[in-house]
Amino acid sequence: MEFITGLYLFVIIASIYLYSIFLLLLFKNWKELFTYDLSKENLPSVTILIPAYNEEDTIAGTIQSVLDLEYPKNKKEIIVLNDGSKDKTGEISNQFNGIKVINKQNSGKADSLNYGISIAKNEFIAVVDADCYHEKDALIKVMNCFKEDPNIEAVTSSVRVKNQETLLGKLQFIEYTLIAWARKLLEFINSVYVTPGPLSVYRKKTLQKLNGFDKNNLTEDIELAWRILRGNHRIKMCLSAKVYTVVPEKFRQWWHQRLRWDIGGLQTFAKHKDTLGKTKFGMLGVWVAPFYLSSFILALLGFIVWVYVLGRRFISKLLSSFYSIETNSFVLQFKELHITPSIFTIFGVLLIITYLIYITFGLKMMDPGKIPRTRKFTIVLYMFFYLALYPLVFIQSLYLFFTNKLFKW
Amino acid sequence: MVIQKDVFWKAGIITAIVFILGVSLGSFLESSRIKDIREEYKVVEVQWADAKLQSSYFQVLKPEFCDSAIKENLNFADRIYNEGLKIERYENANKLNDENQLLYEKQRYALLKTEFWLNSIYLKEKCKASYTNVLYFYLDKPSLIEKPKQDTISLILKDLKDKYGEKMMLIPIPLDLNLVTINVIKSTYNLTVSPTILINEKIKLEDLHSLEEIEQNIQNAK
Repeated sequence: MEFITGLYLFVIIASIYLYSIFLLLLFKNWKELFTYDLSKENLPSVTILIPAYNEEDTIAGTIQSVLDLEYPKNKKEIIVLNDGSKDKTGEISNQFNGIKVINKQNSGKADSLNYGISIAKNEFIAVVDADCYHEKDALIKVMNCFKEDPNIEAVTSSVRVKNQETLLGKLQFIEYTLIAWARKLLEFINSVYVTPGPLSVYRKKTLQKLNGFDKNNLTEDIELAWRILRGNHRIKMCLSAKVYTVVPEKFRQWWHQRLRWDIGGLQTFAKHKDTLGKTKFGMLGVWVAPFYLSSFILALLGFIVWVYVLGRRFISKLLSSFYSIETNSFVLQFKELHITPSIFTIFGVLLIITYLIYITFGLKMMDPGKIPRTRKFTIVLYMFFYLALYPLVFIQSLYLFFTNKLFKW
Repeated sequence: MVIQKDVFWKAGIITAIVFILGVSLGSFLESSRIKDIREEYKVVEVQWADAKLQSSYFQVLKPEFCDSAIKENLNFADRIYNEGLKIERYENANKLNDENQLLYEKQRYALLKTEFWLNSIYLKEKCKASYTNVLYFYLDKPSLIEKPKQDTISLILKDLKDKYGEKMMLIPIPLDLNLVTINVIKSTYNLTVSPTILINEKIKLEDLHSLEEIEQNIQNAK
């Protein structure tokens, strides 16, 4: 067996294993996926922190969305942390009543949040990014999740895409929907490995015990989630609590964002690499860290297989075309069509079909109804082109990470 | 709420089942294709013996039936040419089994084609046939650079074969199958480059040539 065949089969085994885990979790927890509690009894007090840096375009909408959240007014404190914005973020925020605006020197998102935690009055802290819009019942659904188990230290929400006008927006819509869906399934094995910025709520005492967010990490929300899991605590995800975020509409911005995510992920992994495979760190050690590492390795290996197979084919076709021109013969020939399936084709087709079903099913579950024809086209683009960009971003992230070329935002 | 750790071993079992099923199916397909090639070889071998006998019979006893012998020879040429393509296709899809599984079959076909070439020379002389023998020497395991060259030349030769039909006997012979007879041919004609075309055992064209050039050489070799 050739090395590349062995590599391909390894990628296949790992992919089937991951699919199987998600499928089992889906079938086992079918009825619990979208459950929520809207009761207003015994709701705890919550401080909502909105860190903002140069967010004049979106801050008003976010503040209004937070003000409109259905939650007892006497139990809701809203603090906008204006992190030295150079635009009108502070002025716009000051126009709203019923919120506190803290204008501070620029020190980064994590530091601003830590300051917010130190001045927050309530026992729960909700973090809300300054470019997000919430469904009115999102907070109440999230807060009621804490009632289930005192060991739940954080609850996250379902992050969806607000701006779907561009192709990139449409592709990210599919991506975010599937991420939310997968993250919910991971909750059943206590492996929600990120508490995303659009809406996540924490117990204040936990944040204080953990010394808040890591100022040196590019993805402070991932790093904090890992520290919570490290202490064998639980993170829950409320799939029916929806928050809409503004995603990058330009490819350059998207690439930049993904670099930040990947580098932040690598920083987090490097910080917590001691947990790898160790049961005393709970699911972080036995699943989240290995899963994180293996997903990166899988992406790289998949990329190597892809480059090898397509690269060889490309060189061969290029030379053939060159030789055809040189010999004055036809570049393109319509040969007889022979389909000779190999082990590559069998597993390749199996994986593509399984993933297509997974995407379609996930999208339908999250947004019931018929999938529009245009979205079907986007799904194909998503599967064959958009996902292929992941390893490319990751390779650059690896380079930036290992050469310490971490850029400022 | 209990963490559902059982999914990990259950997923392991599902993975093992799916993987074993997939590999078994792949292995079964590959084995049945090899079996198919071996079975077909038996048929081809009988047909070859039959065609050879027909040639001898017509030449020795009924020289006026030379045309039938030539036609049989041409039919047989097409048959082994297509079988060669089929082996190549099957070999490309052969990922699990030993890559040398088809080596024996390829060697047997190479010898058959060599024998067929010699018969074509013999038939041509005896029957004063007008066809042109075009031997195409290639590498069974070409490099990334050699393969596109071979593909280009084989496409040109296929076009010429389509154009000239019965007037051209196209016989592709691999050079790197470690066969004594082919090694002798290699040194006889000093075959060191792939692809090489040998027309009527007289004209040798190495590396890339245009369709017009090859066609002109075929005309000149008559």
